[in-house]
Amino acid sequence: MGLWDVEQVLGLASDAASAKAGQGLARPEKWSEAGASDRAVWGLCQGSGKQPYQTAVDLSGPAYKCSCPSRKFPCKHALGLLLLHAAGEVRPGDEAEWVKTWVDQRASRADQPERKPGEVADPIAAQQRAARRTDRVSSGMAELKGWLDDQVRVGLGGFDQRAYTELSRLAARMVDAQAPGVAGAVRRAAGVVGRGHGWPGELLEELSLVHLIVSAHDRLAELPPTLADTVLSRIGWSTETARVLVEGEKVQDDWLVLGRVIEPDDRLTVRRVWLRGATTGRLGLILTFAAAGRPLDPLPARPGEYVPGTLSFYPGALPMRALLTQTDPRQPAPRPTGFTAHQALASYVESLAADPWNERWPLVLQDVRPARHGDGWALVDADGDGLELLPGWDAWKLLAVSAGDPITVAGEWNRAGLRPMTCWHNDRPVIL
Amino acid sequence: MKGWDGLVSSALLGTDRRPAHFEDLPEHIQERLGDGGLLDAAALATVYKRAGRKPLREVDPIPAAPGEDRPLPRPAAIRRLAAMLGGFQTSALGEWLRAADARGWGVPPEHLPALADYARHRAEYRPLVIAAAGRRARWLADLNPEWRYLHAAVAESNDPEYWTHGNAVQRRTWLRTLRQQDPQAAREALTEVWPTESAATRADFLGLLTDGLSLQDEDFLESALDDRSREVRRGAARLLSRVPGSKYGERMTERLHSHLVPSQGVLAVDLPKRLSESMERDGIDSQNPEGIGKRAWWFLQIIANTPLSAMELEWLQTPVEGCAPDILQAGWTEAAIREGSAEWARALLQSEASTGDRSPAELLRLLPADEWARAVDVLRKTVDVTELVGGLPVPWPESLASMILDQLVKVGSNRAWARLASIAARAVPPDVLDHPITRESTGEEDTWRRRLVETLTFRREMYEELS
Repeated sequence: MGLWDVEQVLGLASDAASAKAGQGLARPEKWSEAGASDRAVWGLCQGSGKQPYQTAVDLSGPAYKCSCPSRKFPCKHALGLLLLHAAGEVRPGDEAEWVKTWVDQRASRADQPERKPGEVADPIAAQQRAARRTDRVSSGMAELKGWLDDQVRVGLGGFDQRAYTELSRLAARMVDAQAPGVAGAVRRAAGVVGRGHGWPGELLEELSLVHLIVSAHDRLAELPPTLADTVLSRIGWSTETARVLVEGEKVQDDWLVLGRVIEPDDRLTVRRVWLRGATTGRLGLILTFAAAGRPLDPLPARPGEYVPGTLSFYPGALPMRALLTQTDPRQPAPRPTGFTAHQALASYVESLAADPWNERWPLVLQDVRPARHGDGWALVDADGDGLELLPGWDAWKLLAVSAGDPITVAGEWNRAGLRPMTCWHNDRPVIL
Repeated sequence: MKGWDGLVSSALLGTDRRPAHFEDLPEHIQERLGDGGLLDAAALATVYKRAGRKPLREVDPIPAAPGEDRPLPRPAAIRRLAAMLGGFQTSALGEWLRAADARGWGVPPEHLPALADYARHRAEYRPLVIAAAGRRARWLADLNPEWRYLHAAVAESNDPEYWTHGNAVQRRTWLRTLRQQDPQAAREALTEVWPTESAATRADFLGLLTDGLSLQDEDFLESALDDRSREVRRGAARLLSRVPGSKYGERMTERLHSHLVPSQGVLAVDLPKRLSESMERDGIDSQNPEGIGKRAWWFLQIIANTPLSAMELEWLQTPVEGCAPDILQAGWTEAAIREGSAEWARALLQSEASTGDRSPAELLRLLPADEWARAVDVLRKTVDVTELVGGLPVPWPESLASMILDQLVKVGSNRAWARLASIAARAVPPDVLDHPITRESTGEEDTWRRRLVETLTFRREMYEELS
């Protein structure tokens, strides 16, 4: 990993107080014996005690080591050191002995579990595990099918009383059946019950798409292989990263970062980074997870920049999710070209044709202007066609940038509306 | 979509009771449905509906904000602005905006919402944010009622509707704006409604006349000296004492002469024996504060409100008979502050005169800024430096700033200097931000010294980035 920039480093801070304290320490005079190698930065920082704190950061992780008593992770010393490094104020040097020992240890530990990509420790045991899972999923799907048919036969009308418990119980059964994807879909269905007067229609939509997964699973063998992969991943089979890297479709390009959406949750923070190839025009999605309250990995580049590299796509009829292998440092990119509202919706329809369960779709809209739409906002293109923004989304930044002039906006589309991620102020990308 | 509602009601009631019918569904769905059931039909219809979504029509874009954008400063400056809006060194925000404005830089529009929210409860930032927002100020104000102040300058127009039918704040704003544009018209508008306003409103509106005060206001103010409300009478007297050449000033001069006679190198004082009705009418307070006699108190107020032109600077050095010289000195201090006289302030400070209830700092700020350093250097022997410089407007002149920082270099990290350091951190002008103190080690501990150096360095980098 090359030099980090200040935003990336501040993104690592566990809270605002650490970020602030870190900025206070990002001055050369705070540090002695500081240095940087290709893989680490280190230095001594005088604290309140007699002995200065020994601080080191392994840039491959990043991982931190500091002799200070702080429970924050990374501590302000590590942040300060990284900020100083980001500002180019740490001179390259030879690793001190304590730094070398630590980084070497980490490197050897990281090497150990690594097998050749795709290689499995015990192929027979793995096969047995897979077979057991297939059985469980199949019986789970059968149970789900019976349940759905029953509901439709007796009617969803009385559903608002018993819905939540029933659907939650069913979701838990699907987790047991090792079908977490379906469990999520069932839980989403539970969420619409009783919400607004149109909920029966919404519930029917959600349940019918669950039904579609179940019936697709029944005839998995007849489906085209890519669609079968999509069905399996919707059910919740995950493909190992190592396999994706070896067997996945590879596309080399300069990948424009269209933007990112971060969804904090009680237990898990999910980040979706949407990419678009400069030459191929291919779209890609990088998913990142972190335990709640823990920092996410730094972005490979800022929205509006190129990451040169190779995407290895997960299998499926609509290959979107991918792993990124960066080959060159990030670089600035021009303002991207985009769609009219009409073209944008058409591109979403194409994605539905490949994967009827697809809910989110990245869009770049060109020459759109803000308009009021009900209590919220919409973006209107030069033809007068509009797309609504996600209700409740804070549009003030976007509005301020536009000032009523036509602008380019990249966002994530779903049925509820467009959630803008990035817009361009003339040629300057602005993160929303 | 055709037939969808039928599917929903079958699903609600149950196919046992209401079998699903598919004849109403679009042909494309029927073709694909085959012998599928309700859920198959619903799945097809769901995807069909989602795919058939059309763009919104007849939504009108908001008209664009007219005008041009300024160029943006370099990315480092923009990052610093973002950091300040995020809570880091936020107190330098106003300085950043001023410096950027002075150099012709704009503010990246994505930061305007945060700036507008910040200035909503901080009136002193509003003009800066309005300047920074440029053509977007009015545009945003029209969209978001919480930022209405962004076109404050325009909203507080001369629409007399505000004056006749507005609430207290709107009327006050209207009057203040008019007073700034046309002092006579404002006074006339006030005279017209004067008899019908409450005492509190009269006193409040009267205070607005401070702006653009002139001899033309005299008749109105003289009549206000006979107001029913004591507070209004006081306010009128305060204003009259600030009008050069007023009858009020002549009356005070007369009183002075009847109680103070310079003769043969001494000032002979004969303290007033009683408080006349005319003295009370002119706002002389009968009740003496603690530590001063009644008669001396009345005399002090006479001096304080007599035009300085009726008195001589030499009197400062002249022996006094008939009362303590402190009384006169305190009166002159008041008069110097009232008239903003540098000449008297300088003379009072040089003679180490008593300043009564006032701080010497209040006299200091009447001097031209280039004299401050020298004056502080002399006064520090008797007056606390922090008190002296704390009341001075910022930024300080270079000479004063260098002198204070030179001193702070020498004092280690003694806590007694913490307040001075925190004042200096904000008051040092751009050209002195590179003072040697910023290059000395401050240690890891959170001392005033470290905070001072951090703030100075932060501000220095800020100006470099905006240059």
